Amino acid sequence: MAAKQETAAAVRSVEQYKYGFVTDIESEKAPKGLSEDIIRFISAKKNEPEWMLEWRLKAYRYWLALGDEEPKWAKLNYPKIDYQDSYYYAAPKQKLASMDEVDPKLLETYKKLGIPLAEQAVLAGVAVDAVFDSVSVATTYKKKLEEMGVIFKPISEAVHSHPELVKKYLGSVVPYTDNFFAALNSAVFTDGSFVYIPKGLRCPMELSTYFRINEKNTGQFERTLIIADEGAYVSYLEGCTAPQRDENQLHAAVVELITLDDAEIKYSTVQNWYPGDAEGKGGIYNFVTKRGACRGKNSKIMWTQVETGSAITWKYPSCILQGDNSVGEFYSVAITNNHQQADTGTKMIHLGANTRSKIISKGISAGKADNTYRGLVRIGPRADGARNYTQCDSLLIGDKCGAHTVPYIESRNPTAQTEHEATTSKISEDQLFYCQQRGMTEEEAVSLIVNGFCREVLQTLPMEFAVEAQKLVGISLEGSVG
Amino acid sequence: MKQSALLDHPFGARYAAALPAADAARQDARETLALEGLPGPKREEWRFTPLRGLAKIPFIPAASADDIDVCDLPADVPRFTDAHRIVLVNGVYRADLSDTASETGLTVTEAKTPDHGVDAPLAVLNAAYMSGGVTISVRGVVAKPVHLVSIGAAGAEPAAFHPRLAIAVAPAAKLTILETHHGLPGQPYFSNPVTTISVGTAGVLRRYVLVREDSEAFHLATTVADVAADAKFDAFHLGLGGALVRQEISVDFVGEGAAVRLNGAYALMGRAHHDFTTFMNHDMPNCTSSQVFKGVVDGESRGVYQGRVLVARHAQKTDGQQLHKALFLSRGPQIDCKPELEIYADDVKCAHGATTGELDPDHLFYLAARGIDPQAARLLLVQGFLADALENVDDAVVRDILSGEISGWLMRKASA
Repeated sequence: MAAKQETAAAVRSVEQYKYGFVTDIESEKAPKGLSEDIIRFISAKKNEPEWMLEWRLKAYRYWLALGDEEPKWAKLNYPKIDYQDSYYYAAPKQKLASMDEVDPKLLETYKKLGIPLAEQAVLAGVAVDAVFDSVSVATTYKKKLEEMGVIFKPISEAVHSHPELVKKYLGSVVPYTDNFFAALNSAVFTDGSFVYIPKGLRCPMELSTYFRINEKNTGQFERTLIIADEGAYVSYLEGCTAPQRDENQLHAAVVELITLDDAEIKYSTVQNWYPGDAEGKGGIYNFVTKRGACRGKNSKIMWTQVETGSAITWKYPSCILQGDNSVGEFYSVAITNNHQQADTGTKMIHLGANTRSKIISKGISAGKADNTYRGLVRIGPRADGARNYTQCDSLLIGDKCGAHTVPYIESRNPTAQTEHEATTSKISEDQLFYCQQRGMTEEEAVSLIVNGFCREVLQTLPMEFAVEAQKLVGISLEGSVG
Repeated sequence: MKQSALLDHPFGARYAAALPAADAARQDARETLALEGLPGPKREEWRFTPLRGLAKIPFIPAASADDIDVCDLPADVPRFTDAHRIVLVNGVYRADLSDTASETGLTVTEAKTPDHGVDAPLAVLNAAYMSGGVTISVRGVVAKPVHLVSIGAAGAEPAAFHPRLAIAVAPAAKLTILETHHGLPGQPYFSNPVTTISVGTAGVLRRYVLVREDSEAFHLATTVADVAADAKFDAFHLGLGGALVRQEISVDFVGEGAAVRLNGAYALMGRAHHDFTTFMNHDMPNCTSSQVFKGVVDGESRGVYQGRVLVARHAQKTDGQQLHKALFLSRGPQIDCKPELEIYADDVKCAHGATTGELDPDHLFYLAARGIDPQAARLLLVQGFLADALENVDDAVVRDILSGEISGWLMRKASA
């Protein structure tokens, strides 16, 4: 108990600061570092039930036992992360009931980032669960969704309001023993979204969370859990931005998706966190575990990601195709420029009969960046009639970058069919010449050509995202030619 | 919780004690082996090919076994008429079984020491206990091909041998070589050959390899090749059996304009395990590498293809292609495939493809509709699938020999 009080005292003593582009709102922080006390503190802050704390502690102990065993197999190069040099809890002080109560300064920040929250909610018909640092501050359209039986709320609230669902599904797709970063996340996650779509409901609006890293030196450990019950459908959007800063920030999120019979989840991400400057200084370290389980028959999970930000991206949104006839799809555009490094891909684990998967990955590498596709297609012995199609294309811009493809194909069923294709190319002089001859600048031409290269993926994005993503593609490659 | 990346293995002090004292090169390798051991399943390059089974067998050096006597070529070794024949029994050159009429430009000598350092873990094991082998040097155009026959045999105890082969093709020289690896049934034997190849400027080497070891045998072959400017290295590897077979081939491009074709096929039944591991190190501009591998798997067998193509920053205008196609013939086998591209140059053409599946029911129906019984139809389609791979073998005589080997495999399968 004494230790806990000390921790709380230390929290009070941590001062606020003003720092460039960072919004100055009062926030509470736990002291730097990670220990069982900090985890107890986070849990106490969230007023969590005992079972939740126990789970966190188990995860923490597992993580501790892993020692320095960060996964090393990815083609990534970064300085050693000091996990004791980070804050694991930071939250805006008051909880707000509606948009009107949101701190105008916070809204200002969103505007700077080009996310007019209120406007977007109204105009685009999107219910927004905005996450500022680690705690959800505003949830809109909550009532309307509630009437239909949709549960869309911060996971910290869901722990109280729907403990049976959280208990049943949390960690069931990504157990805390899954990997180093999943264990870390399970121990210290502060908040994230919880979505439950009831039987037979087609969620009428796209659900969206904007993540945003704000506190200096605060690792973000989001935890998202989405369950689509029998026959349900939901499209979920995740977008991320972060202000410019010099220090590397650690982000280790976990996303779990579950579809029961005939259900479908479409999960789209646009990630444009701070990638570091042109010299490779700063930028976000993004170690994400995203996985969906198609538990039910005829269910479907579709991942679409546009990854343009972060200094380090380590991310493999995957599908476990358990139910017969279930479908997994993965569409990815990963753009790396300057000194960015991305090691991303997917895993399609075919367990049920007649399961199908499709992987379309487009990697674009410019500047001094490295871009790796790493994927696994595994066909289990019972996956009769399973089908996989994989296509990975890489585009190199300039002769100082790298593009790598590391696919694993493991088949144990004769009736299954897998196909994998990969190509590597560059933007041809002819294409550039053609565009420039028609009055485009070289940069515009590159943006156009690259957008064409990614079209297959971008067109799977919901409308609002597709527009943003197309612009992003152009912006991300600024300075890569000429 | 942690699994070691190393395996305990039988090639320690007991094994060494059966052999005469080692020279400096072998002693060096033994020290490295003691430190690094054999790769365990945690080692990425070995994740699909576990050596646990091998490591459990108490092998003795074949050279120290006095109860092995092979005095003639086994009947099932293909006869390559009109070729120089070099025979190794348990890795040791046998002049009495060989037939190398002198030809200008061709020099065959017995290899004595493992003088070429190769880093691969199995090559370290080879260097530690290397007990024989041959060096083939070629100047000018050698018209008559070379047929190298390797016979493995164990006596009352499982035996291992670690031969060195060196093939040196001088600038503008030309050689065709067929290597066939066979064995006698009985106790398991372990063949661990290391082949070093150098093809000089504008030289041409065609190398064809057949591995049809005994069904209890282990065969882990490491090949490293240096290919100089404008040289051609054309290889085809056929794997038709052995309990555990790995053919690891790595090619270094050391001059501009070199062209390498590395093709292969495997056909497996029973509990056979076959692994093709390739590495194309494109360290020079304007080189091409092309790989086509095809495999059929039956019974409880396991086929592995892992190929890596590395294109260095300065290796512009590289053309690197990889293709692996695998065909299942039954329920039970496993296929693992990992075609890897690592590219640092922008003006390159690199692609890979991989497929797995079973025989196309439409094709079977087509043949059935023409009165061909299903069993024969399946064999016909499998033969067609593998024959396609053989198209890449330029030498007509060798192609016939390999084609005969594939037919033999199909007959064995049909009667199994």
